[in-house]
Amino acid sequence: MSPEDRRREQDAPIVPPEPGTIADLFAAALPDLAITPNQGALDVILIVGRDDVPRLLEAAKTDPNLAFDFLRNLSGVDYEAEGIDVVYHLHSYRHGHDVTVKARLPADDLHIKTASTLWRGADWHEREARDMFGVIFDGHPNLVPLLLPDDMDDHFPLRKDNPLAPLEEWQGTALGANVGEAGHIPAGSGFEVEKVEAAPETAETAPEAAETTPEAVEATPEAKE
Amino acid sequence: MEVNEGQTPEPGETPEGAAAEPAAETPAAETPEAVAAAPKAAATASVPGRVPAPQALVEAPVPARISLGVQLEAARLTPVELEHPKALYRSVLPGILQVPADYVIAAARKSSLWPMTFGLACCAIEMIATYMSHHDLDRFGIVPWPSPRQCDVMIVAGTVTKKMAPAVKLLYQQMPNPKWVISMGACATNGGPYTRYDRVLQGVDKIVPVDVYVPGCPPRPEALMDGFIALQNKIMEERGRTG
Amino acid sequence: MAESQQPETALDQEFETIDLNINIGPQHPATHGVFRMVLTVDGEVVVDVTPHIGYMHRGAEKLSESLDYRQAIGFQDRTDYLGGFNCELCYVQAVEKLAGLEPPERAEYIRVILAEFNRITSHFMFLGAFGTDLGVFGTAFTYAFREREYIQDLFEEVSGDRLMYAYFRPGGVAWDVPSNFKERVRWLTKQARVGADDMDKLLTDNEIFIARTRGVGVLSVEDAIDYGVTGPILRASGMDYDLRKKEPYSIYDRFDFDAPVGTNGDSYDRYLVRLEEVRQSLRIIDQAIEQMPDEGPILPERLPRALRPAAGEVYMRCENPRGEYGIYLVSRGGTQPYRLRIRGASFCNLSALRQMTIGHYIADAVTILGSIDIVLCEVDR
Repeated sequence: MSPEDRRREQDAPIVPPEPGTIADLFAAALPDLAITPNQGALDVILIVGRDDVPRLLEAAKTDPNLAFDFLRNLSGVDYEAEGIDVVYHLHSYRHGHDVTVKARLPADDLHIKTASTLWRGADWHEREARDMFGVIFDGHPNLVPLLLPDDMDDHFPLRKDNPLAPLEEWQGTALGANVGEAGHIPAGSGFEVEKVEAAPETAETAPEAAETTPEAVEATPEAKE
Repeated sequence: MEVNEGQTPEPGETPEGAAAEPAAETPAAETPEAVAAAPKAAATASVPGRVPAPQALVEAPVPARISLGVQLEAARLTPVELEHPKALYRSVLPGILQVPADYVIAAARKSSLWPMTFGLACCAIEMIATYMSHHDLDRFGIVPWPSPRQCDVMIVAGTVTKKMAPAVKLLYQQMPNPKWVISMGACATNGGPYTRYDRVLQGVDKIVPVDVYVPGCPPRPEALMDGFIALQNKIMEERGRTG
Repeated sequence: MAESQQPETALDQEFETIDLNINIGPQHPATHGVFRMVLTVDGEVVVDVTPHIGYMHRGAEKLSESLDYRQAIGFQDRTDYLGGFNCELCYVQAVEKLAGLEPPERAEYIRVILAEFNRITSHFMFLGAFGTDLGVFGTAFTYAFREREYIQDLFEEVSGDRLMYAYFRPGGVAWDVPSNFKERVRWLTKQARVGADDMDKLLTDNEIFIARTRGVGVLSVEDAIDYGVTGPILRASGMDYDLRKKEPYSIYDRFDFDAPVGTNGDSYDRYLVRLEEVRQSLRIIDQAIEQMPDEGPILPERLPRALRPAAGEVYMRCENPRGEYGIYLVSRGGTQPYRLRIRGASFCNLSALRQMTIGHYIADAVTILGSIDIVLCEVDR
């Protein structure tokens, strides 16, 4: 994210839903569970603690008033220091209602019980979440890499502290991009840009690049090296 | 594929590390090939923007979950890069006849290029559209053929990820000479729109030598046809130099 | 280890056999992309299937986080490249829900018409590829691509590209359609009907086709729901659930169409469901082109230059040609999405492959894989 976006970052306010939504059914089914309902853009979002999730999902699947038989989506969202959210989107074919369940995992303890015992479709979603975020789903039958190569799961791509590689330096001058703003480049990843002595043509094309892309002022001093 | 101790694997070392068939759960005998290939990559270290040369690779342990059948096949299926042989006509015909022979043979080769159906991603759809009746590559003698053993040209159509790279390299090695590679689309040229992601190989020319680059995302069928015609011109131009 | 079934002979021997692992992919002639499955077979019967995916994992989700909301539309096309307009529609609707934008009427109709044409081209690709997998090598493809080319000409006239359109925008579409749009659409619907009938005549009553697909790859409704399978596969298994009818988005509630439902859940039913969906999509397009206003804006009047949807999250789901395509978009008030999770239909459909294939022959594995109709870029993103 750009520095501008970082300054403007804010969390969405929690808006309690109107009475009569799925949150009431959950409150009736699990009166002793601490659930924070939130009205999202399309669905009602239930925010629970990490340890309450297994009970909540089990009730969602088995309770006849809830009957969530379809796990639409299971994903993670990285909130850096505050932890990683695991988000479940559920749908009930029988009753026709939907709900979103969110739980935040602390950044130093990324474990949560698997949902693949309830819905077999959660199997691959959880493997992917492990690949992308490093969340360990306890009780998962086969938590091996799914999308990543077997030997390349040393860092988790979708975490915010693993930024994308910057464009190569020669691409930077050609496109006028601001090279070097991607942030930390892990050493030995192969993406470090080597600053070599510019061949004569670079010095000639650099002023043209500066003229055509006035915004890329920061790129030109690096290009001229 | 292997990982250096303490380092994330770099794109340059992917082909050297993965010489065995991807069907085998792990390569069985790849260290000699890896070491042999390492000096080749050292030459690219000083080019700006290129990845640094890979270090010596560790031998991959054989995991226990390989089935017996696959283990028996693994040794037999390790590919070996053969040297370019000299074509028979070069040793049989006298020199004065080799020049017209070059011409005839190159004309024959360019008129009957059989590409391997190697569509990886979205470019595959445009590649298929080029084969089909509206744009028709068959009139150039180009017949898509699934087996690499009978193919002349490999059209790398789509993004090559690092997971897929060993398979691409293996298929290229399985093709008999003379062989050419057309890199179709932006992803095969330099990673395309996905170039900044570290699981994507920034261009297929990092693992196989490419003859023609067709730009586009995806290239129009006419652009792919233009690429084939450029390849045909190239085959005619280099007729004396190909084995 | 399994014993082969030998008739009672005088020898009455027991054979020890080894289950063979057959590797299919990641490069194989059936052009479904880079998918690898390892079949464990006992003789000819498949005992286990291990799918290996991730050969096309290119990080579209991660890359979208570094781009503007409008720039990220380009990645949506490339996720499901056969149903590009449907993916774009889902994504721009998700952004509209967060940003509070309302597309004008004409834009909505344009979007629906193009999305339905895209559904038709995607299903034609399936019909062609499925026939090719089963041995109609070439003929099915040439028929299918004839129709695809006609419709892609329309796409090119409207958006400028044959496959990666990037035409929809949050709030409407990028520019207006050409003036002869209605005539072109009417001609194309006639043409597409002819094409669908041709594919029908080629495959539906073909004895070999029926023998190879009937009863192959049966997926029960309970299994389908459990695995998260959606779309034509779920409908072929017997569940009448089409997001355009049950959770209507955009203006789909204004059209009168049916969602075809199968009975057996086998590959033949999946083929029939998709063939009938082509005809139903043509019905939608006919109605839409009649109702579409001739003039009107295609973007809201006051559109911010830098789109900053309010902080919040939304899970927008649409009916892609392959099933439910979901976009889970988390915004934290910036110009770039904080998290863009793509719930690909093929990703969930493919997880049921093992369930469908065990117990069938090796050749049926190819049939079943073809009948699921996957697009690997959607599986791996």
